[in-house]
Amino acid sequence: MREQQLQSILRHMPAGIATLLGPELRYGFVNEAMQALLGGNTPEGEPLATHLSTLEADLLEVMQQVYQSGRPYVAKSYSLPLAATDDSPPTPRYFDLALEPLHDENDQTLGLLLFAVDVTAQEEARQRAHELALETRRLDARLRVLTETAPLITFTVDATGQHEYVSPQWYYFTGQPPTADVNAIWPLLIHPDDRLRVLYQSDTARANGVGWNYEYRLRRHDGQYRWVLSRALPELHAPDKPVFWHGAVTEVHDQRELAEALRRGEAELRFLADSIPQLIWTATAEGFIDYYNQHTSEYTGLSAQELGPTGWISLLEPREQAAAARRWVQCVGTGEDYEGIYQMRRHDGQYRWHIIRARQLTDTRGPRWFGACTDVDDQHRLREVLQTQYDELARTNRDLDTFVYTASHDLKQPLFNLRGLFDELRRVATFSDPEQEVLIRMVDEALGQFEGTLQDLAATVQSQRELAAPTETLDLRSVAEEVLLGLRAQVEELQAVVELHMSEAPTLTYGRANLRSVLHNLISNALKFAHPERPPHILVRSSLSETGQPQLLVQDNGLGMNLQTEPTPAFHNFERQHPRIPGAGVGLYLVQRIVDSRGGHLAVTSNVNEGTAFLVHWFE
Amino acid sequence: MSRAVRPLSDDDLKALLEQCRRDNAQHEVTGVLFYSHGNIAQLIEGDPAILEPLYEKISRDGRHSNVVQLVNKPIASRSFAEWSMAFHPLAEEGFKALEGFFLPQHAPSTPDTMSIADALIVDLVRQAVFGPSEPTEALPGPARQ
Repeated sequence: MREQQLQSILRHMPAGIATLLGPELRYGFVNEAMQALLGGNTPEGEPLATHLSTLEADLLEVMQQVYQSGRPYVAKSYSLPLAATDDSPPTPRYFDLALEPLHDENDQTLGLLLFAVDVTAQEEARQRAHELALETRRLDARLRVLTETAPLITFTVDATGQHEYVSPQWYYFTGQPPTADVNAIWPLLIHPDDRLRVLYQSDTARANGVGWNYEYRLRRHDGQYRWVLSRALPELHAPDKPVFWHGAVTEVHDQRELAEALRRGEAELRFLADSIPQLIWTATAEGFIDYYNQHTSEYTGLSAQELGPTGWISLLEPREQAAAARRWVQCVGTGEDYEGIYQMRRHDGQYRWHIIRARQLTDTRGPRWFGACTDVDDQHRLREVLQTQYDELARTNRDLDTFVYTASHDLKQPLFNLRGLFDELRRVATFSDPEQEVLIRMVDEALGQFEGTLQDLAATVQSQRELAAPTETLDLRSVAEEVLLGLRAQVEELQAVVELHMSEAPTLTYGRANLRSVLHNLISNALKFAHPERPPHILVRSSLSETGQPQLLVQDNGLGMNLQTEPTPAFHNFERQHPRIPGAGVGLYLVQRIVDSRGGHLAVTSNVNEGTAFLVHWFE
Repeated sequence: MSRAVRPLSDDDLKALLEQCRRDNAQHEVTGVLFYSHGNIAQLIEGDPAILEPLYEKISRDGRHSNVVQLVNKPIASRSFAEWSMAFHPLAEEGFKALEGFFLPQHAPSTPDTMSIADALIVDLVRQAVFGPSEPTEALPGPARQ
């Protein structure tokens, strides 16, 4: 019974058990697990050598040795490929094998006990652990290379503040020898002004089990204090308190100096903007105002908060708001400059005129808007007053012209009547006075002068109107010949010689009537003031000045003038150089007025009894 | 205004529209949301007791970042009758029939009841999201509705 029980236990054991009997190693007892291992073909009593499985082939020699020597044999993690089944590919399995010699009571060798335990799981775990160790070592090496080549100091510090690890960069940076005691020296290298703060902050962080992040000045190998940033995080071992802090120290000196300079620059610019008695503001790329200067709140009586991103628009005169808003949206969209003149409400409700200007700045930080509102109220009001006065003067002037024109026109009819009556009187009446001839001539002359004056007055007003006429490119020669045709009677009477030299500057862009008027007046003047002892010789020359501007010379050999204010005397209306010569004294005034109003000037040189030269500078 | 963390797909936008229409109608929140190429801008009107937690919720929403509050002010009356959304879906067909959806060019123009300063905010936001409109649209004439 017990025997049977034992057999049953052995048969179903999860470890393989077999006995091999005799020098031929015949199969004895083989349990189920071992049978599976040996390939299932284990007929009791048959020699093993006749039914070799993979395992048996491997072990045959060893088995024979054990049998002969009587020494047990143990193989650990013996690998045995398990044949592939339908479901799974062949997988290596591992067994601990033991070969024990079996002895009878007389110590005679009976055979072998073969014992096999499946240790596949243990073996696989061991292999995994090995691979993991290799990977860990690789990662560790990589981490070390990274920590020791990165341009920052890395460290590990324990809960008491003792440095467990400091990367070699610490020694490079501080210039301390490798034998230096980091824990003792590090605090001494911190700038005295920062030391207490840093020690306190790191102690507090460690006591609270949190990380830290602060900047301080650390002494470099050359004795210079450099700003560094120290950051560390605790390594947590829940639920216990952290035991280590790992961190890095980075030099941030240059960034900090730069940031400091920027801060200073910005503070100065802001101070500048706040000191200017103008409304200054900046806006984001989207067009929302993000800064108003101090003066803005003083002027508007509203804080930046109250004004908000678009509050400026509500300060404008209500009727101007919609158009100003549309223009702003458009400028923000296109990047065009914004410019306009608007009335802006002051804190006391008074609207004052402002020029609002804004320009977009585009750089690497993206577009931003900078704007200013300049108070031009005084100038604007002054301009309005001036404009009103100007308009009034222009109107008065126009009225005067009209009056003169009308008067000269209206006076023509009575003059005509007077002339007719006088002629009639001369025809029908007889005079006994011997001076009658002289008197008649004097009346005649007076009437002629009266008529000339009226014509000149009308011409002046006419030319005033023609000043507004459009300009065109004119051929000087043809206009001059046209004028001479009109003066043919005088030219012939005086036997005058008129030379036209227009080839140097043959054309001029000018008002046609104006040019004709200038030529007519200058040439007729030259004829009028001819010297009684010689026929007039008139030279008309068109040329270019040194600056390349066109000019016209009209030179005669006449009476000449006595000039008080050379070389550009003012020619006043009704001023006459030669009272003996008939004329209204309007001619030169007219010429000067035309030339001046077209942006040029009239110059004159003259010698009494030799002649006069007028030089028309058409443009300055 | 904010930036979407990743571009929103038509389905995302549709879901957002439906969710917001439902929630906002329930809480009587009105306004408009503009979306284009990751730019998001939203105007909401309602009871401060509703809006404050709503803004908190919106600003914490993981679908967008860089949330900027441009203006937050009491208003005498609402300018929007309901809550709607304007964006360019990839496939317009599926959206035309949806309530509260507009293509940007059909989005209701800024209400006249707003002050010009407030309307300017909406117009600038609209431009910041959708880009500058055509010159003809940039100058809405008197026919503005």
